Amino acid sequence: MFKKLRMVMEAAFYNFRFWKGNARIMAVFILSFILCFLLTDKIVVFAKAHETTMQLMEAFIWTFGDSNSILLSSLLLLLLYADMPFITGATPFFLVRASRKTWVLGQLVYIILSTGIYLLFTLISTCLLCAPYSFTKNIWSQTAAILAYSEEGKALVLPASVKTLEMSRPYQSMMSIFMLMMLYVLTMVFIMMVFNIWKGTVAGVLSVLVFSSYGVLLNPEHLQKLLKLPEEFYYKAKVFIGWISPLNHATYYMHNFGYDKLPTLRQTVFIFIGSIVFLTLLTMRVTKKFSFVFRGTES
Amino acid sequence: MRSVIKVENLSLSFGDEQVLKEVSYEFNEGLIYGIVGNNGSGKTVLMKCICGFLIPDDGKVFVNYKQIGKDADFPEDAGIIIETPGFLPNMTGMTNLEILASLRGKIGKETIREAILKVGLDPKLKKHVGKYSLGMRQRLGIAQAIMEDPAILILDEPFNGLDKKGVIQMHQLILELKSQKKTILLSSHSQNDIDVLCDIVCEMDAGMMHCIVDRTKEKGEKPVYEGAMP
Repeated sequence: MFKKLRMVMEAAFYNFRFWKGNARIMAVFILSFILCFLLTDKIVVFAKAHETTMQLMEAFIWTFGDSNSILLSSLLLLLLYADMPFITGATPFFLVRASRKTWVLGQLVYIILSTGIYLLFTLISTCLLCAPYSFTKNIWSQTAAILAYSEEGKALVLPASVKTLEMSRPYQSMMSIFMLMMLYVLTMVFIMMVFNIWKGTVAGVLSVLVFSSYGVLLNPEHLQKLLKLPEEFYYKAKVFIGWISPLNHATYYMHNFGYDKLPTLRQTVFIFIGSIVFLTLLTMRVTKKFSFVFRGTES
Repeated sequence: MRSVIKVENLSLSFGDEQVLKEVSYEFNEGLIYGIVGNNGSGKTVLMKCICGFLIPDDGKVFVNYKQIGKDADFPEDAGIIIETPGFLPNMTGMTNLEILASLRGKIGKETIREAILKVGLDPKLKKHVGKYSLGMRQRLGIAQAIMEDPAILILDEPFNGLDKKGVIQMHQLILELKSQKKTILLSSHSQNDIDVLCDIVCEMDAGMMHCIVDRTKEKGEKPVYEGAMP
């Protein structure tokens, strides 16, 4: 058991060894930083204009509490996982010393760890970008209060809501958003892995695009227009979409904090973890019939 | 003589092209088998099926009486080189082999050093594998295959990129391994490699395999085969 676990971890870390000097990996992190800069810019400008301070985590909370930002950030991972299912010229040497199950579990552990690193980088980037105007105490800032209690948050298309402010504190919110993003991204990448192994690389990329498009297109406004629902049904449509859209599950403010019928954070976590476990089992199953095609690693 | 690898009615197609057509053969212990044939004849595909990397459409592969894909995913006591060996380019040869050896945990640094020395490389060499020549990488690939002293060696074009001296060194090494009762499957485009090393020569032609030379029966005679080499 311990030996197998060690082999799984070795398979995972083997992929990290290809990160050193890898232009694609560097590009992912540079683009992620640029994305964070672009997305946090409006809140930083807003704070500067109002001469108010911010809590260190607020830039991350207001930026990635929004489904569009989550979507953009998650799509950048397509570049990080462009070499999925991570087969190189060195893979046959690894395989002959392990098993298909060990290999694929190693790849999934690699995905979990690398996604964690990517999201941590995103979090650190947003913190750094707003650090000059921030404090670290676990209380909401004046900027947050203005955004939530006035119409200015809506005007800036920031998901700063009274609900978020009154039901939690900055570090707890940050942790919830980080966890939701992590689970959403893992679900997306595990789907990509299943299709990659089952039907090939193109199918893997297409599966992500379909998954993301499903999340984007499925919003209450679209549903209301499509079904020509009267205004009073908007809330019902919102609740319905909140349950069936994975992107809404990943969006912090689209949750039930005790007074509506949206999914609770706990329910979302169960749904995502259940999906990830199911996708892990599916990946292991399709790997049994997977034919390995190797390519060289050296320049 | 004990059968180590048994291939039964192996068939495999890529789209409309059938690359293996009901290939059946038994590879016995302690012999060197040469697999020859033109490009695209199915040599590498056959080796990949034996290694368990490709799933055949039909047929079975047994290695040490274990069915590949059922009883074991890959041959358990085998060293392999399939196509151009790939390593971590930003690490030394020694580190690369240490990482691979840590998976089975059977051997230590000293044994790895010995394997690297056997193939004519310097285990203390600080140069990263990314800066190795093709010949050096090939040698490192052979060291990787032999370091854990496996009973079976599956070597697809193992002498690619080696100079004359290197080829002679590797021939000696392979003959030494044969004397230790290893079963070796070797594909090569060089007639000299086949002449010097192989006990039995099998030719792959359009997905079919047939034995064209059996030196175990014609001991002392020079192998004769035609049309197998490009």
